[in-house]
Amino acid sequence: MMLKKFNITDGVTLNVIPTDKFKTNYLSFNFVQYLDRKSASQNALILQVLLRGTEKHKDIASIKTALDELYAASIESKVFKRGEYQVCGITASWLADRYSIDGTKITDGTISMLEELLFEPYTEDGIFSKDYVQSEKNDLIDDIRALINNKNSYAVTRCKEEMCRGEAFGISEYGDEESVKKITAEELFNAYKRFLETSRIEIFYVGSGDVDELCNRIEKMFVGKKREYKQPQKTVVKYGVSEVRNVTEKISAAQGKLSLGFRTGCVVGDEDYSAFPVFVEMYGNSPVSKLFMNVREKLSLCYYCRAIPDGVKGIMVVASGIEVSNKETAQNEILAQLENVKQGKITDEELILAKKSLKNAYNELNDSPPALEGWYLTRCLSGLDDTHEEVCERFMNVTKNDVINVARKLQLDTVYFLEGTLKGEGESDDE
Amino acid sequence: MMSDSIVKRNEFLGESYTKISHKSGLTVYVFPKKLTTAFALFGTKYGSIDNKFRIKGENEITEVPNGIAHFLEHKLFDNEDGSDTFSRYAETGANANAFTSFEKTAYLFSCTENFEESLEILLDFVTKPYFTEKSVQKEQGIIGQEIKMGEDNPARVLFFNMLEAMYEKHPVKISIAGTVDSIAKIDAELLYKCYNTFYNLNNMVLCVCGDVEVESVLKVCDKILKKAPASEIERIFDEESDNVLKPRITAKMQVAKPLFDIGIKDNKISDEPSERLRKAAGMAVLNEMLFSKSSKIFNELYNEGLISNTLEYCYSISESFAFNELSGEANDPEIVYKRIFDYIREKQRIGLDKEEYERCKKVIYADFIKTFDNTEEIAYELMSYIFEGCDLFDYADAVMGLSFEYVNELLGCMFDEEFFAMSTLFPV
Repeated sequence: MMLKKFNITDGVTLNVIPTDKFKTNYLSFNFVQYLDRKSASQNALILQVLLRGTEKHKDIASIKTALDELYAASIESKVFKRGEYQVCGITASWLADRYSIDGTKITDGTISMLEELLFEPYTEDGIFSKDYVQSEKNDLIDDIRALINNKNSYAVTRCKEEMCRGEAFGISEYGDEESVKKITAEELFNAYKRFLETSRIEIFYVGSGDVDELCNRIEKMFVGKKREYKQPQKTVVKYGVSEVRNVTEKISAAQGKLSLGFRTGCVVGDEDYSAFPVFVEMYGNSPVSKLFMNVREKLSLCYYCRAIPDGVKGIMVVASGIEVSNKETAQNEILAQLENVKQGKITDEELILAKKSLKNAYNELNDSPPALEGWYLTRCLSGLDDTHEEVCERFMNVTKNDVINVARKLQLDTVYFLEGTLKGEGESDDE
Repeated sequence: MMSDSIVKRNEFLGESYTKISHKSGLTVYVFPKKLTTAFALFGTKYGSIDNKFRIKGENEITEVPNGIAHFLEHKLFDNEDGSDTFSRYAETGANANAFTSFEKTAYLFSCTENFEESLEILLDFVTKPYFTEKSVQKEQGIIGQEIKMGEDNPARVLFFNMLEAMYEKHPVKISIAGTVDSIAKIDAELLYKCYNTFYNLNNMVLCVCGDVEVESVLKVCDKILKKAPASEIERIFDEESDNVLKPRITAKMQVAKPLFDIGIKDNKISDEPSERLRKAAGMAVLNEMLFSKSSKIFNELYNEGLISNTLEYCYSISESFAFNELSGEANDPEIVYKRIFDYIREKQRIGLDKEEYERCKKVIYADFIKTFDNTEEIAYELMSYIFEGCDLFDYADAVMGLSFEYVNELLGCMFDEEFFAMSTLFPV
C-alpha cells in the first residue's frame, strides 16, 4: 500500500492511495478542530447547512438531481471524535468514468459538486439562509436526542462522558442542545469562514486516475483562500485513577447495559503501544477472547461483551447487555478476566490467535477506502507516518510479557449502568 | 471432474462467475475478484418463516417453535469432540459469523490467508450437527439476552409491529429469534428434525468471492461433502388476504421522537422468478422516483419540518411475501401518512414524468454496479438471487429492460388504501 502525501497549503494535506481495483473512487475532506463546547455545535451544524444548497444548486432536490445524473454519486457528511479532536468530514464516492454509458464525466462532475458544497454555499443577504439554519438546528437537536434510541451505543457514550467530564473529550462531537439552540444564521456564517480558515484539513483520495491532476485540482480550490492555521493542541491523556465512580441511570427498557470505563495508561505512538491492540483482541474483541469465552459462553450472562478501546485518548470501555439482576456477577467476571491477564494467566495459543486475528483485520483494511482513511487519519493526527503493514508487523513481535505489562497499566475509572426498568416481554399496546 | 459447471459473464461490468453443480448435491458459486479479502457464504434456504412443513413420507404437518432456525444457527457452532468452532477458525485467522433471516440461514467467514483451511472448517462444522440437552439449555440464556436486546431496539420493534399490522397469518410477522417463551420449548430432538429437513445439500448453496480458484474450492468440497439424499421439502403457508390485518399499531418506547413505518402489502406474487425480479426492479425505480431526496414529497415534508432528514423506502419481494415500506421520524406521523397518501393519489392522476424515470433508472443501475467492489457484498447478493430462483446478473438486465409503461402500471396497482398499514412508536 502506498500513501502519497501532498502539502496543498498551510495545514492542508492531500493523502492519496492510488488504486484501480475499485469501480468507485473515494474523496473526503476532513476538517479537524480541537473540541470545544461552543464550536463543536457550530461545526456540526455547518456541515449540515452546507449540504442544503449551493449558489448553483439552491436546494436538496437540485443537488440530488445533479448527483443522480452523475450515476448516483454520493456526497455525505460525518462528524466524529479522534481523541480530543472533532473531525467534520464531507465524503464523496462515485463510479469511475469507464462505467458512464452516455459520456457523462462522473469524476469531474462529482469533484465540482463537492467544491461547490464546501466553498460556494447558498446565501441570502450575504449569510446562510435563515430557514436552512433553523431547519438544520432542529435536525441536529433531533440527532443529539436520538442517541437514546440505540441503547448499546448510548451506554458506551454516557460512560465515556461520565468518565471524562471536565475534559475536552467529554464534549460530544455534536455539541449540545443548549449551544445549538443559541446559534444564529449570521453567527454560523462567520463560524463557517473561521472553519475554512483555521481547521486542519486532511483530504483523502482512494481511487484511480491521474494523481498530479487531482493534486492540481485541489490546489486550485485553495488559491486565494485566506488561511490562518494554527496547529491545534494535543489530546490530553489522563493517567491514574484516584477513586472508582459508580453511575446508574434508569431507563424504560428490558435489558441492563453495563459499561466499565478504564484508563489505559498508553496511547498510539508510545513505545509499548504495539502490545495494546494485541491485549484488546485477546481480552475482549473476538469470539475466542476471554470476555466472550467466559462472560458469554461459560456463564451465559449476555449476548455481547466486548472491549472498545480509544488508542488516542487512552481509554477503554467494556460493554455488555445483561439481565439487570446479573450486574454484580457480570462486573465481577469482567474484572476477574482482566486480573487473569494482569497475572499472566494467558497461553501462548491465546497470544498467537490474537495476533492472527489482528493481522487479518489489518489486511482487510486494504479492501475498504473508508476504513483505510479512518486508520491513516488517526495516524497522521498523532503525527505518525508509518504504514498499516509496518504497524501490523510490530504486533507480530509482541511477547506475552509485553501484553501483561500493558494490561497492568489499566485502571478502572467509571462503572456506568443503564438499568432497564421493564419487566417481562416489553410494552406494546395494539390499537 | 464429476461436477457440471457453467460460466456467467457480464461484459459491461467486466465480471464473471462460475456455477458448479457439485456431485454431493450442493450448488457452488465462485466469483473471482482480485481483492485482499476472500469471503465464503454457506447457506440453507431455511429461515424463520419455515415453521410449518411436511417431512417426506409423513402425513402429519410438523409445526416447530418460533425462533428455532435462529437457535439452530447458534447451536451448529458446537462440535461433538467438544471443540468450539470459533477456536478452530481462530487458528486460520479467519473472521467468522452467521445469521438467520426470514428465508435463509447462512454461515460465513472472511479471510486474507489460509482460505482452503477456513473453507474446510466451514463445510465441516455446518454438515456435522451435534446437539445435547445441556448445550441447548446453555444457549437459552445467551439468546434470551439477544431477544431482550431486540426488544429494546426501536427500529426493530417498529418494523415487526408494521409486519404484525399487515399480516394475519404469514410467519414473516414472527420475530426471527422468537421469544423467551418460544425458545424454552426447543430441545435437541427438535433441532435434529429441522436440521435433517433443511440442511440437505440439495437445499443449500456455497458462494465464494475473492482471489480464489474454482479448483481449490472444489478440492475442499470433494474432501468434506458426502452425497446428500434427494430432498423434498413441503413448506406450508396459510392463505393470506390481499388486505392488511389492521391499519395501525402503536406502541411506546424510550425514543427521542416518534417514529413511523408505513407498510404497503403486496399479495400478488408471481410464481415466476423472472417476473418477481422485474417487479423488484420496477419498484426500485418507482420508489426512487416517488420518495428520494429529489422527490417533491420529501422536500415538502422536510422543508415544512414534518419529518427529519431521512425518508427511507424499500420494496421487498420473495416467493411467499412482498411489501413496500416507507419509514422515518415525525412529530405527527398521521399528518405525514395523509400527505404521502394524497401525494401518491395525485401522482396516479397525473402520471409519471419520463425524464425523471430515465434518471431514476440510471440511479438504480449505478447502485447495482457499485455493489461489485466488495467480496462480502457480492457473496450476499449472489446468494439472495440464487435462493430467489434467478441469477445475480439478471438484475442488471431486468433494470435495463424496464419500460416506462410498466412502472406507470405499478404506480396504478400497488397503492390501494386497503394495502396500507402504519406502525408508530411514541416516546414514553
